[in-house]
Amino acid sequence: MSVDVEKILRPIDTSLPPFPAKFMTLSNGQEMMVRQVNRDEIPDILPHVEKLMHVERDYYHIVAARVYAELLAYYTYRVQDEYVLIAQVDGEIVAVVNGRIVNPDIGMSYHTLAMRRGLRVGAHTFAAKMEYHIDILKQKEVLIVAESPIGFRRWMIEYKLEKRFHIPHELGGCPSWSLTKELFDRARNTLVVGRRPVPEKLLAKAHAAILPPTDPPKPPEDLLAATRSMLDNTGTSLIEMKRRLGGM
Amino acid sequence: MELNIYAYKCKRCGEIHYPYKTICKKCGENDHNEFEIVPLPKKGKLLTFTILHNPPSDYEVPTISLGIVELEGGQRITGQLNIKNPKIGMNVEGKIEVVRKEAYNKHLGMVFYQA
Amino acid sequence: MREVYVAGIGITSFTRLEYPLVEIAAYPGLMALRDSGLKKIDQLYVANMGSGRVNAQTGLASAVVDHLSLTPAGAVTIENGPASGASAIKEGFMAIASGMHDVVMVIGAERMREVNQLEATDFVATLTHPLAEYIYGVTLPSLAGMFARLYMEKYGVTSRHLAMVAVKNHHNAMDNFYAHLHEEITLEGILDSPEASTNNPYVADPLRFYDMCPVSDGGACLILTTAEVMKKINKPMIRIAGIGQATDTHAVHERKDPTDLLAVREAARQSFEMAKVKPQDVDVAELHDAFTILEIAESEEVGFFKKGEGHIALEKGETKIGGKIPINPSGGLKAKGHPVGATGVGQAHEIVLQLRGEAKKRQMQNAKIGFTCNFGGFGNNVVCLTFIKEK
Repeated sequence: MSVDVEKILRPIDTSLPPFPAKFMTLSNGQEMMVRQVNRDEIPDILPHVEKLMHVERDYYHIVAARVYAELLAYYTYRVQDEYVLIAQVDGEIVAVVNGRIVNPDIGMSYHTLAMRRGLRVGAHTFAAKMEYHIDILKQKEVLIVAESPIGFRRWMIEYKLEKRFHIPHELGGCPSWSLTKELFDRARNTLVVGRRPVPEKLLAKAHAAILPPTDPPKPPEDLLAATRSMLDNTGTSLIEMKRRLGGM
Repeated sequence: MELNIYAYKCKRCGEIHYPYKTICKKCGENDHNEFEIVPLPKKGKLLTFTILHNPPSDYEVPTISLGIVELEGGQRITGQLNIKNPKIGMNVEGKIEVVRKEAYNKHLGMVFYQA
Repeated sequence: MREVYVAGIGITSFTRLEYPLVEIAAYPGLMALRDSGLKKIDQLYVANMGSGRVNAQTGLASAVVDHLSLTPAGAVTIENGPASGASAIKEGFMAIASGMHDVVMVIGAERMREVNQLEATDFVATLTHPLAEYIYGVTLPSLAGMFARLYMEKYGVTSRHLAMVAVKNHHNAMDNFYAHLHEEITLEGILDSPEASTNNPYVADPLRFYDMCPVSDGGACLILTTAEVMKKINKPMIRIAGIGQATDTHAVHERKDPTDLLAVREAARQSFEMAKVKPQDVDVAELHDAFTILEIAESEEVGFFKKGEGHIALEKGETKIGGKIPINPSGGLKAKGHPVGATGVGQAHEIVLQLRGEAKKRQMQNAKIGFTCNFGGFGNNVVCLTFIKEK
């Protein structure tokens, strides 16, 4: 009986062409690889996302919580036509992006979660996601919303996204923004980079294991400090300073 | 009426200043603030330039080009460039155009074109 | 004139600080008091450039002196653009040298990250000539871009040299707990790889993203005092031996040679002359590398290298820690950060650490003479300081 219910609950995925892995050199000289992961690898990613749910700065908590739910839903077959890409440096996971295919023409971008800050890690991985929609799946546009000011600056402003405010986005029904093929073509070679094929060695290292991020974003150490400023919700530096003063 | 950018010529020693100064830089004796207003020439040579990729937020364009031009009389001026591939030493000619809009205010300044 | 010594130092991280400006100024003050062991001061100088505009707070020094419960000591806020920090040290020096005061606290503090990057850049751009520069959209990066283009054309400096400055200073900052950027970068990543132009895009052509200093918050403090007070507190005798300050035209285009940094040359000359040392005697220096090109240009103008040879010395590694004359061991403005009003005091803080021998991994062995160059506007107001360690 339960098997039959599962059949009803589980959507049937459309078969989609896979995202061919690519790699790029970061400012620090390390090579980052972006590749698609399938359901088997989701349990290896979830623990690293979970930790970020408790990082109450720069909207990491809400993005991580939603990414966790989306990955879990993907793993347990509760979203139709979702895909997940990850970025790795020396096997270490540094970013997760995901999205969904609404119909052959329209893609729905879900989240971009950088697990290492700086070096354009998140920006490169987001660009790979857009490349998947526009170049690989040949879609006409991707609908996007931002949940943090950093995201807004990166996507809406850098890519000069068009407004699609009449379309509620799947993330909370917020007014959507759109990356069209034309906008994507304009960003090609400046914002969208990467090389293929990925060298065997890099590929093998990435597939061997998804290692935990070594320098993930950390929560502020004292939430009380976070309330001290009206315009900023974080307060790690104050605490660091207090500790140093106390230790002197 | 032809628009100009004006410089300030010291009535004692003839030194031309752009922008305006209260005391003449050359003779230092212009303590009566006596300057004659003279229009700056518009032709000159490009001394150096830059393409600014993050212009101030009141510009609604992705980049602006700025340069320092040595004008025919030897005076120099900072201005905007409307030149596709600027090169140091090229001949340029200026026009007076709107260079910045701030709310209701429009600022006029020198915009250089390839001569 | 009485001799002036550094009795205590303190600093915050130069990064995004999420607490009020008054506290950013007060914490380094508290640390410097603890460092010196002194409890009372006669006079406070607070160097700050933008509190009125960026943080909607004026009369900063009055707020800080009360925050530190140092009232009724005198307090003055000093705004002198990005050279505010060293200018405040100069004022503190004069107050002691003249015999007016015995203990003076000099704080530099800035909180620029309260507003977004565009607003912060526009706020700094108000330094430029309002009629001849600002209305054209001129910002400090664009002045640096124009300067760099001419400099590169004239002296054979290349983008690679500029990137080498950034790589060196990012590397130095790795060992500086208080630095803004703890991130190694490589020439491969920012110049040579196919992705380099995305990692390191042009900001003010020919200057790129990694040629610019970050926008930072931060504070630093120096307590200055007389030889007499120094005898009581048992701290290394670091003397402020030379101070030079010079100005240049407000509009950059008015200078005879736009690649000339006259004010730097003059301020450095005055500073060395007063200290009775030569540029070659300097063991460690902090230069104002808000843009990488400035580190190269200043290293020549202050007299460490001949004009046009700064980039060659850089190539040879002479400006690395352990080299002939280490420049910006703290990471410089490029990687340590640039909270405009605090920068000059931050530079002095690093030199005092180096001369005391407390700079840990980035220590220059047996450093006796230190030098800082604090560059205001685009070279229109420069203050240079020379520090000497006495036995």
